[in-house]
Amino acid sequence: MENRSLHLVSPRLPAAAEELRREVRAFVADERESGRLAPPDKVGMGFSIDTTRRIAARGWIGLTWPARYGGQERSALERYVMTEELLAASVPVGAHWVADRQSGPVLLKFGTEEQKSHYLPGISRGECYFCIGMSEPDSGSDLASLRSHARKVDGGWILNGRKIWTTNAHRVHYVICLVRTSKPPASRHGGLTQFIVDVKAPGVRVSPILSMPGDHDFNEVLFEEVFVEDSAMIGKEGNGWNQVSAELAYERSGPERWLSTFRLIGELLHVLGQQAQPATRGELGRLLSHLLALRQLSMSVAGMIQQGMTPNVEAAIVKDLGTRFEQDVVRVVRDIVAVEDLTRNEGAARLQALLRHAQLWSPAFTIRGGTNEILRGIIAKGLGLR
Amino acid sequence: MSNTEAGDDAAIFSDAVQRILTDTVTALAIENAAQRKFPTALFDALAQSGVTSMLVPEHQGGTGAGISAAVAVMRAIGAAAAPGPIVETIIANVFLAKARLPAFERPIALAFAAETESLRGSANSSPLTLRDVLWGGLVDHVLIVFRDGNARIALTHRDDWIVTPGGDAADEPRDVLVSRNVPLACAEIPDGTYDELFCFAALLRSGQILGAIEWVFRRTVEFAMERKQFGREIGKFQAVQQMLAELADHALASAAITEAAALETSDVLIAAARSRLADAADAAIRIGHQVHGAIGFSREYALNFRTRRLMAWRDDYGSVPYWNQRLGERFIGLPREAVWPAITDTKAEPIVG
Repeated sequence: MENRSLHLVSPRLPAAAEELRREVRAFVADERESGRLAPPDKVGMGFSIDTTRRIAARGWIGLTWPARYGGQERSALERYVMTEELLAASVPVGAHWVADRQSGPVLLKFGTEEQKSHYLPGISRGECYFCIGMSEPDSGSDLASLRSHARKVDGGWILNGRKIWTTNAHRVHYVICLVRTSKPPASRHGGLTQFIVDVKAPGVRVSPILSMPGDHDFNEVLFEEVFVEDSAMIGKEGNGWNQVSAELAYERSGPERWLSTFRLIGELLHVLGQQAQPATRGELGRLLSHLLALRQLSMSVAGMIQQGMTPNVEAAIVKDLGTRFEQDVVRVVRDIVAVEDLTRNEGAARLQALLRHAQLWSPAFTIRGGTNEILRGIIAKGLGLR
Repeated sequence: MSNTEAGDDAAIFSDAVQRILTDTVTALAIENAAQRKFPTALFDALAQSGVTSMLVPEHQGGTGAGISAAVAVMRAIGAAAAPGPIVETIIANVFLAKARLPAFERPIALAFAAETESLRGSANSSPLTLRDVLWGGLVDHVLIVFRDGNARIALTHRDDWIVTPGGDAADEPRDVLVSRNVPLACAEIPDGTYDELFCFAALLRSGQILGAIEWVFRRTVEFAMERKQFGREIGKFQAVQQMLAELADHALASAAITEAAALETSDVLIAAARSRLADAADAAIRIGHQVHGAIGFSREYALNFRTRRLMAWRDDYGSVPYWNQRLGERFIGLPREAVWPAITDTKAEPIVG
C-alpha cells in the first residue's frame, strides 16, 4: 500500500500452516461423521465444553504460546488458519474463544509469572474460560467514561460497579474487568486498571439479558464490594487503557469478523444446486469477491502481528468492512431465496431457519466489539485526520 | 515464481518507470491524448526501458519479468493516469511470442474477438467489425485474437481498416474498426492462450485501476487536510472522516486482493480482484468527488484524470457483471462442505482456456 499510514504484507502461508489446515479439516470431518456437528440452522458461535476439550486435546488452544504454559509455539499465521477453518465449519468454539484470542495474549504480554503459570495451562487444556468486562450501562462507545471502580484495601482491592453485554459471563470462570482505580488525571484514559475476577466470587451477580433473537448470550454483571487480591491486577495500575488498546488488533481482525454469516452462503449454494439465473451468479460472485479480499486483509493483519507490529488501524479496517459484509450476505441470500424461489426445495427449511436467525442477528454485527463509527474514527486518526 | 523474485523484478522497473512518468505524463500530455494525439514520449520511453516487452521470455528478446512485476508497473502507471495502449502492447507482445513472432517496440492495439459484448466476430466474417478498440485508429498495428475453432492471432496493419473514431469516459480513443480485407492472415497459438492472456490483460488493468484508486485516496485525504470551511480543515469534521475511512477500507481491501491475484494468477483470484475493484472504483469516484466538492469537478483539477479513467477501465477486459458471474459460476453446484475449500484452495485450479 502506497499510503504511509496503511500497511499490507502479502501473506504467504508457511507449509506448516497448510499442514495444520489439513489436520483441522480432518478433525471437522470426524466431528461431522460422528454426528457431533450438524449442518447449522443458527448463526453465531456455539458454546460446547466437549468440543472445546477435543480442540484442546489437539493442542489448538494457545497455539502460539510458549510450551511452558501449554502452548505449541506456532506462528500467528498458523493460528489464523486454524481459526478460519473452525469458524467456516461452524464448529462451536465459544467456550474458549475469548480466552484463546484475547485474555491469554493479554496475560502473556502484561501478566506476572504467577498469573501466567496459574491461568494459561488451564486455558490451553480447554478447562478455563474467560469473558470481557468492558462495556457499562452508561459507557458503550465512550469506554473511558466507565464508572465501575476499585479501591485499595489491605492485600487487595474492593470492586464496585456494573458491566453489561458481557457475553458468556453465565458460563465462564473469569471476567477481565476494566475499572477506574483513580480519578482521571489530565488524560481521561489514565487511571483505569484491569483485574481478573472469578465470576463465582462473593458479591458478583450475573443476570441474563436476552438478545433480540431470543438467545441468552449477554449478561449484566453486578459487582458489590467484591474483594480481589493484589495478584488479580493485570499489568500496571492505571495502565488499563493501553493494555486494552493492545488487545484490539486481536479482537478486531480475525475471521470471526467476516465469517459470522458464511454458513448462509454454504447453505444457499447447497440448496440452489446447478440452477441459478445469471443475476444470481453475479450477485454471488460480487459477494464472494468481498469475502476473498477480506480474507487476504485478515491474513495480512495476522502476518503483521507475527512480525511484532500492532496493526490497530488495519484491524479496524477488517472489522469495518467485515461486519458490513456479514450484513450484506444476509440481504443477498434473502433476495436470492426469493428470486430463485427456493422455499420449496429440499433442505429449504434449514436455510430458512438460518436466514431468519441471521437476519435477527445482523444489526449486532456492526455494533459488537466497537461500532463501525468508532472504528472509522480510529481509521481517520490513522490517516492523520484527527 | 517466489515472492522475492517478483519483488526484484518490480524493483528493477519501479525507479525507471517512476522517472518516465514524472517526465512525460504532464497534464498537457493527458489532455493531448483526449484530443487523439498519441503519447509518443511516454510510450517510446516505456518501450526503451523494456516495459512493453516485459512479459516476453528473455530468449525471445523480452525482459522475462513475472506477472506480479507487470501488475506493480501498471499500478504506478494507473496512479499517474498515463494514457495510451500500454497493457495492450504488453499483452500483444506476449501473443506474438506465443506465435513465435518477434516483439514490437511500436504500440499495438489489441482486440479479443468474441469475448465481450463489444467484440464479436470470426476471422472469416465479412466484413469484420471490432468495437471500442483502445487507440485502434491511431497505431500502426492491431492484433486480433480469435478463439472460434483453433485459437489464433491476426496481426493487421492500419491500412486494413476503416476507422470510425470514438472515445471513452477519459476521452481516450476507442474506435470502431471495419475490415477492408477478409479473411485475415492468421498464426496459430497454443490452446488455452486466449483465456490465459485475457485474464492477464484483466489483471494488468486491475493494477492500473488500483493505482488510480490509491491516487484518489491519497489526494483526497491531503485535500481534506488543506481545504478549510467553517474555520477549520474539512478533514476535522466527522462526516468527512467517516467517508475517508470508508475510502481507506476500499483502497486497502482492493490492494490486498489485487496483490494476491498478481502473485497467484488463478482465475478465481483474478475474477475476485476485478469484481472487488469495481466496488472500490465506484467508492473512489463517489467519495473522491464528494470530499473535493466543486473544485474536483473542474476539468483542470487532476482528480478527473483518474476518476474518468476508473469509469472507463472498470468494464475493460470483461465487464463488471462478466467477472461477477464468472466468479459466482465457480461456486454454483457446490455442496455446503465444498464451499470453504473453494475459497482457500484457489491455486488448485489454474487458468484454463
